[in-house]
Parts: sequence; C-alpha cells; structure tokens
Amino acid sequence: MRYFQARVAENRALGGGYFVLRLSGCASLAAAKPGQFVMIRGAWGRDPLLPRAFSLMAVAPSAGTADILAKTVGRGTALLERALPGAEVDVLGPLGTSFPEPDAESVDLLVAGGVGLPPLYMQGELAASRKLAARSEMLYGGRGTKDLVLLSEMKSMGLALHLTTEDGTVGTKGLITRALEERLNAHRGKRVRVMGCGPNAMLWAAARIAREREVPCFISLEENMACGIGVCLGCAIPARSRPYRYVCSNGPVFDAADVLDVKPTSPAPPPPSECPA
Amino acid sequence: MSPPVDPASVKLAIETGGVAFRNPVLTASGTFGYGREFEGLTDLRALGGLVTKGISPAPRFGNATPRICETASGMLNSIGLENVGVEGFERDKLPYLRQCGTRVLVNFFGATFDEYIACGAGLDRLDGVDALEMNVSCPNIKAGGIEFGTDPRVLADLVRACRAVIKKPLWIKLTPNTSDIVALARACADGGADGLSIINTITGMAIDARTRRPKIATIFGGLSGPAIKPIALRMVFQVHRAGVPLPISGIGGIQDATDAIEFFLAGATTVQVGTQSFVDPDASGHIVRDLQARLAADGISDVRELIGALRVS
Repeated sequence: MRYFQARVAENRALGGGYFVLRLSGCASLAAAKPGQFVMIRGAWGRDPLLPRAFSLMAVAPSAGTADILAKTVGRGTALLERALPGAEVDVLGPLGTSFPEPDAESVDLLVAGGVGLPPLYMQGELAASRKLAARSEMLYGGRGTKDLVLLSEMKSMGLALHLTTEDGTVGTKGLITRALEERLNAHRGKRVRVMGCGPNAMLWAAARIAREREVPCFISLEENMACGIGVCLGCAIPARSRPYRYVCSNGPVFDAADVLDVKPTSPAPPPPSECPA
Repeated sequence: MSPPVDPASVKLAIETGGVAFRNPVLTASGTFGYGREFEGLTDLRALGGLVTKGISPAPRFGNATPRICETASGMLNSIGLENVGVEGFERDKLPYLRQCGTRVLVNFFGATFDEYIACGAGLDRLDGVDALEMNVSCPNIKAGGIEFGTDPRVLADLVRACRAVIKKPLWIKLTPNTSDIVALARACADGGADGLSIINTITGMAIDARTRRPKIATIFGGLSGPAIKPIALRMVFQVHRAGVPLPISGIGGIQDATDAIEFFLAGATTVQVGTQSFVDPDASGHIVRDLQARLAADGISDVRELIGALRVS
C-alpha cells in the first residue's frame, strides 16, 4: 500500500453518469487483485474534504495505469467525472481484501449490480488471462440499458454474459437474483462459487440464495469511510465472528457467511453510556 | 521581516506540558489509530508525537452504523470510542509504540469517576507512555448524562481525582460544547493538570433530505475538519489571553503549516493534526517539513518566537 500522486490519463464517459477514469503513474498498484480498492482525491482544496473509495477495475503493470469505473452520485464523483487529462489525483492503495483467485476446479458466478461491476470485471479479466474464462459467468443487472456498460469488452474476454434489467430493455426482465438461481440450477452438482458486488439489497439476496444451496459466496461491501486503512472506524459492518468488521481493512470482500444483513432502521438516540464522538 | 535563515538552523524543539518534543506537530486522538496503521505512509520519527485512540478501562465495540458522513469542509463522526481497553493496549499496541521513535501520549476516558481513575492509574504505570491526555467529553451517567467536561466544578474534581493517581504529565482535552471555555481551562489548572488540548469535536448533525433520516445512526456526532478551525482558534486564544497557567495544544481543522502557525500565534505551544490525516496520511510530516521551510524563509530561528505573538491592538 502506498500514498502517491497520479494523473488522469483518460476520462471516458459511458452515458448514464458512468465514466471510466484511467490514471497514469500507478506502478504501485501493479500487484493489485480483483476486489481491492483505492482512495482517490483530486486537488479539491478544502471541500469536498475526504477522499473517495473506488474498487479497481483494471491495472496495466507495463503502462503503469489503473482504471476505475464510477457513477456520479455526489460532489466527489461529479468532480471526478469532469476531471480532464493531466489533472492531479492523490491515490492511496491498493487496499483491502480480494476475491478468491479463479481456478480450474470451480465455476465462478460473478454477480454484478450497476456500479458494482469493477471488481468482477477485473476478476473476469484475470480468469481470461489464465485461460479460465469459460469457467466464469458474468451475471450483470441494472435498472435499464444505461446501467449496463462495457458489454463488448466483457464479451471479448470470453465470459458468458447473463444480463437482466428491471425495465426489460436489455437481457431478461427482472432482478439479477433470478438469473443467479437459474445459473445455480444449471450448474447443480458442480463446485460453484458466487462472487458479488452491487447494491446491498442485491448482495444480501444473493448471499441468502447461496447459503440455501450451500454454495460459497463472497461479497464486496460498501460503507462510508474516511481513511481506508482501519483508523477512522467509520466503515463498521455487523459480523458473526465479532461485533463489527471493517469494510476497509477486513474487507471489502467478505465471506458472506461472516457478515450480517442489518437493515437500516430509524436511528434511536444513543443510550447515556455512549459517547457521541 | 527578518532575512531568511538556514532551514537546518531553525529550532522546532519545544518542552511543554511536561514533555520534550522534537517539534510541535502531533497527531490527534482518534485520527491516527495506534500509530502502526500509518507505518510506511508517514515517518513517525519525524513527528513531534502521536496521541493514541482513546482508551477505556475495558474494550468497547462502538456505536451502530452509519458512523460517519462528510459535511461542508468537514466530517461528522459517532464512532462510539471503540478501543482495545487498557489490557489490550498494553499487550497489543504498546510494544510497537515503545520503539516507534516519537513521543507517545495516550488518550483515555471513562463513564464514571472511578473508571477515569482506574484507567488513568492503569496507563500511568506503563513504560513507553510519555503523557496522558484525558477526554472529558463523555456523558456523566450519574449526573444525567451531562458531559464531565462542561461543568467547571465537576471537571476540577475529576482532574484532581485523576491527578492523585497519575504521575505522568496529564493533559485535559476540552470540549468546545460550552459557553465558557476559560472557566473550564481554569478548572483544569485548579485540579492540577499539566496541559490542555483545545478543542475536541463540536456536536452537530446532518440530515439526508431525500430519505428524511439523520446521516449518522446516533443522530448527533462530532464535527471536525477545517470547518471548525475558526472556533478552535478563538477558544485557544481566549484561554491564552485569560492567562490560564497551562500550555495549550491547539486542535481543529489544521491542514497545513500556515494553519499550524495561526494556532501558535493564538497561543498554542503544540498543534495536533486530526481529520487531515484521513485526507493525507502524511499530513503531519508535510506540516513539519513546510513549517521548517516557512520559518526559515521568514527569518524565524525558533518556533517559540511565534507562540502567543498575535498582534492585537
């Protein structure tokens, strides 16, 4: 893990608010694995203050570049969407845990929802580079056609693509979890692993389906974080093995059996024994 | 303006609050973990010192999530003072800190007078701890949840009780959630403290208008970052100007050497870098290097020349 300055080499708009940022000067990320992430901040002055966490989508060790895929949702991503080639960006990484490596014995079902694609794209690319693309399938879902990006790139990797959209404009109409059930049925009796990244509701549904079928499942979670290195303790996630695990340092990729699906409820005032800070 | 001096000749060392520091730039509690997390990202030996995460007598697992959110030029947090406890600190964290090459100040707190005293006494016996910093922003359960650090009488009693069992230098980190910071600072002096850290986070809240929910689970949290710097500067200056006989470690939104210099001018003898370590893990290192260069360029041969040197007519 290193903290260094990179530059925007290319900023490619994909429509629907999605964009791929290619950063140069990222030789330190050459050994990054699928699932790992970086903290990124532009020269933004005093506001917005904190760096943003992004899963890596690709690294090119020979060129020293790294790609992230983002969707504009707030002030930080809006600034990155407008970043021009040559812009300076501070990078901390690679950070966190990664997905299990592709192997010749397993069928890997990669379940991506919307902007959760990057780590699974990178996993697919790793499988393809090891001539294991035929053992990985990309299950990719979104609300509509604009949420499904980089399809031709993934086809060229040799990955089988199973697309779903909620409005039915691309692929099968419905939720990606139905596609997951169908693919698990198709591979019944084989050694299958599920790897997911996307909205929490999708991940917990995928984890439940995998658990019911006793299939190993690994999910990449997202939570607000300030530091990325286990210091601020902002990105806590309830877990079985101890009260909390941390998305930045214990994750972002977790064995789905260890983390708990705690739905947000109306916050209650803290009990008097709790210090607010 | 004096002519420039050789950067290598600029004196940054300072002895204050019972501790001799190689320079006046420290890292603030809760933003620097237990030091080891920053290994390879900043040179701990270049820092004046580090202040650990707050330690309680027993381990704590912290508050519900979400725990943090960004605000304008700042952030809100409600971590819940999660920490490893005194035993865990001694066993798992202190061995690294003993050889990390900088001064180690341990922040501590309790939920009752007895917990504060037990925690302070437990940390006071540890070799490798240079000083203790007491967080008094916790609710006093026996007094209906009012922060220990907001009532001067309670605060003086608490400091006195801890002072009785603590031989190491004892600093008190004051809460800014008060209408009279000077009265609180005087209470700490009366109780026998060796130094003050000013300020802790300011209580605030943030709302998500779309979901109509508070952005953090406990509704209220501690605001930090550059948004609070003017308030921190004001409080440091008020305590300094009032002549409270304790050195001040200035905290609140310090991002660069200029910010640090402003705190020295207001009367701080050291500064603590907090939220900026999340933005730039080498923030404190940058500030030390830039401070030295800045002082040299301005012909200031000793950082102590800046302390309390604010010009007010």
